[in-house]
Amino acid sequence: MKILIVEDERELVKSMAQFLRQESYVCEIAYTASEANEKILLYDYDCILLDISLPDGSGLKILETLKANNKSDGIIIITANNSLDDRVAGLNLGADDYLSKPFYLPELSARVSAIIRRKRFDGNNKISFHEIAIDILGKIVTVNNQAVDLTRKEYDLLMFLMSNKNRVISKNAIAEHLSGDDAELLDKFDFIYSHVKNLKRKLAEAGSEDYIKTVYGLGYKLTT
Amino acid sequence: MRLLQVSLRALLLYSLLLVLVSIPVSFFAIREILNKEVDASLVLHSEQFVKHVKNFEYLEDLEMDLVVFDQLSYDITIEPSEWSAERHFQTVSVYDSIEREFRPFRILSSSVNIKNRPYLLTIRMSVVDNNDLVIALAGVQIILILLLVIGVALLNRSLSRKLWKPFYNTLSQLKAYELDKNESIKTEQSNIIEFDDLNKAIGHLTDRNRKVFLQQKEFIENASHELQTPLAIFQSKLDILMQNSSLTETSSAAIQELEETVQRMTRLNKNLLLLSKIDNDQFTTLEKVDVSKIAIKLLENLKPLADLEYISIESKIDDMCVKANKTLIEVLMTNLFHNAIRHTTPKGTVKVYINDRTLKVLNTGNPIRMSPEKMFERFSKENKSSSSTGLGLAIVKKICDSCLYTLQYDYVNGTHTFSVVIK
Repeated sequence: MKILIVEDERELVKSMAQFLRQESYVCEIAYTASEANEKILLYDYDCILLDISLPDGSGLKILETLKANNKSDGIIIITANNSLDDRVAGLNLGADDYLSKPFYLPELSARVSAIIRRKRFDGNNKISFHEIAIDILGKIVTVNNQAVDLTRKEYDLLMFLMSNKNRVISKNAIAEHLSGDDAELLDKFDFIYSHVKNLKRKLAEAGSEDYIKTVYGLGYKLTT
Repeated sequence: MRLLQVSLRALLLYSLLLVLVSIPVSFFAIREILNKEVDASLVLHSEQFVKHVKNFEYLEDLEMDLVVFDQLSYDITIEPSEWSAERHFQTVSVYDSIEREFRPFRILSSSVNIKNRPYLLTIRMSVVDNNDLVIALAGVQIILILLLVIGVALLNRSLSRKLWKPFYNTLSQLKAYELDKNESIKTEQSNIIEFDDLNKAIGHLTDRNRKVFLQQKEFIENASHELQTPLAIFQSKLDILMQNSSLTETSSAAIQELEETVQRMTRLNKNLLLLSKIDNDQFTTLEKVDVSKIAIKLLENLKPLADLEYISIESKIDDMCVKANKTLIEVLMTNLFHNAIRHTTPKGTVKVYINDRTLKVLNTGNPIRMSPEKMFERFSKENKSSSSTGLGLAIVKKICDSCLYTLQYDYVNGTHTFSVVIK
């Protein structure tokens, strides 16, 4: 799967690409708008991560070009300017999602995989990890084809972990993923702990192995 | 005291003094002049009399005639005298039997020779009474001073209205001036150099201040904006670092602490950016906002967090729709709710009431140590070590100020109450 990162901050690009490549995505990079324009006309990407403010022009222009050429690449806008206007303008121009700086790389990874799933399988899709399977359309989780009843937060947590297989996700990233801006009120450890505990218990009761590992002091990791 | 009153008072005091001095001075001056006139006239009179009498020296019995004349005439006495005296004047009071009062007379006594016999000639003339003169003078002066006072006061009043109008105009504009709202001060051209100078100086000052203020506002926004990217890089490096399987416990703990810190910076930065965006009027799009719906949704999201601290949330939410900026309303309510939950003691209660145009957020908790005004200032925190940015209530206040909502805070019986009247 091919991803194009359009971003002028080299250090940030380096981290993003490194993180996404672990997920076996192929990452291409464009540091300027003109580079990006060249690339999008030559190739098709599964997902484009697009910074709005580029040294030689606005990322919104690139969106317009994509639209004009009937490209169906999935697009996530990334910007330092967390303003509603930009968000609305971007989404109106055909962007699929919006991420404002700074962001957690696991969050980025989750958004990317969501978009790719949507584009590739036309919404009719299932993802699985060993005996755990998720029907994304119906939001149904099964273990060995047996349905597991999860709360919304537990489902979101499982999805988040599944999108970041074999990677450590910090408690902060999980808390923000589950609670958004309200996360600042949280004693993250208690909050995350109780959700993880419940999720693990429910999966175990359904006969799943314990794949959710605690990484001391940092967070959690879905791994065999 | 007004400037004009001060000058008026000095002016009036000085004229009063002048009038007081001028009464005796003019009294003495007038009396002197009158006396001189009277004396001159007496001398003339006596000389003419003597000349006239000398025309009759051919008469045999002139002496007898003079005796008769002396007795008949009222103002002139002429009687033989043994010695010749120098001419001299004096003022005497003589009783007037008809008017029954003493009247002042000026008397000239001189020796004359008629038919080689010495006579003493005395001529008198009634002069103005001193008392009358003083009364007349004082009367005139008092009328004068009254006219002066009334005149100056009236003149002063109309002058102060007319002359000082541009000044008061400028003053009222200055009083109403707010750096973050008004563009500049509009002064009107007057024909007074001082006022025009003042207006020019004030215009210059306010323009300059405004420029600095705008630059600073812009700076805060730009700075917060520019910080987002380094923060993103920082966070991304931490996320990568975390994946390292050979991390020791200490380095894991350090990464965890770094992440907490970068998160705090991110929140601070986000709130600063929000504050400066409100300052810069970037939330101007108005739409119909269903406040009750937003409140219900926010409270629903917050419930799991409140449950962690065994805080119960009670709400009584009536329908409320306002024309406002949706983002601002959301931020306003989020911050008030967050603040309430953050400062509620465990097992306490948060209550949210929405009715008519009022949003009320109540929470049980300990009394605040700082003053309620300080509570709404930036970076004022009750608990220095808490993870709060100290900007939440400052943002609430900024939103209320910019949207002209009234914000009130009360603490009664262990309950903090924030109420916002949304217009």
